[in-house]
Amino acid sequence: MMTQQIIVVKLGGTEGVDFSAICQDAAELLKSGQRLVFVHGGSAEANALGEALGTPPKFITSPSGYTSRYTDRKTLEVFLMAVNGKVNSLLTEQLHGLGINAFGLSGMDGKLMVATRKDAIQSVENGKRKMIRDDYTGKIETVNSELLLALLNMGFLPVIAPVAVSQNGEALNVDADRAAAMVAAALKAETLLLLTAVPGLMEKFPDESTLIRQIPQSKLVSALEMAQGRMKKKVLGAEEALQGGVGRVIIADGRVEKPISNAMSGNGTIIQ
Amino acid sequence: MNTVSCPECAAEITLEANAEVGEIIVCPDCGVDLEVISLNPAEVDLAPMEQEDWGE
Repeated sequence: MMTQQIIVVKLGGTEGVDFSAICQDAAELLKSGQRLVFVHGGSAEANALGEALGTPPKFITSPSGYTSRYTDRKTLEVFLMAVNGKVNSLLTEQLHGLGINAFGLSGMDGKLMVATRKDAIQSVENGKRKMIRDDYTGKIETVNSELLLALLNMGFLPVIAPVAVSQNGEALNVDADRAAAMVAAALKAETLLLLTAVPGLMEKFPDESTLIRQIPQSKLVSALEMAQGRMKKKVLGAEEALQGGVGRVIIADGRVEKPISNAMSGNGTIIQ
Repeated sequence: MNTVSCPECAAEITLEANAEVGEIIVCPDCGVDLEVISLNPAEVDLAPMEQEDWGE
């Protein structure tokens, strides 16, 4: 299996990440023979669509300190419209505009990503711990790497929306960073690149001068404790990717020129 | 009375007046997490112990 040169790029869904610069950079890299897989987020689009449709997003924090989007059935439908519908389609369109034969799909298609639904999660509200049982989110268990390798071997650039299917056939919202990590692990990718709207993991967020340039895998536990908010799941994803056999993980700036090349030349937080 | 018996250790627990369905309380005797299943009649069950307590 020829898998050494694959870079899995996760394009953050928060405002500021320059999809256009990433796509142009990808076009040049693909011409030079680099194999790429894109996984994207879409949180900002899902929030905006939810507001417009009268179902504003609600975020919950678990007792262990992780924040997530409360995804009841209605929110799931909004999430699918925004992330699978709009973000995936427009990203695929943008890539086609650059002459790249992009293949947009979600993790549900061909059971690309199968996840276990989290049917009993907890939130802390007003000091009370509560059980939430109507959440349509999941933890990815398997990735159909044969499907991705077939697409890559046919010359496509797979563009994956962070949606998975449960063992019972339900659509599930999955975390895009962890999805990218699972995809990278399944492909034994050389690099997992998490492009976001900050330069990497900072010791004292948001002071960018405290950027951490290198984290050895052995120090990931303390990095996980230090990471705040969304960064927590990136570090968790990094850990899962490395455990799954990915060569290295780079958390890097998606707002700069040539974001992929910039990160691959050593800018960002390199975890290995 | 909103009094329940802990399914783990049989301790008698009186729910707070503002207890809600879905709320997780801790048994004061054995420390196990209990989920309030209903209020009328008051009923609790062992809360699921998930490896990950958060959504995605």
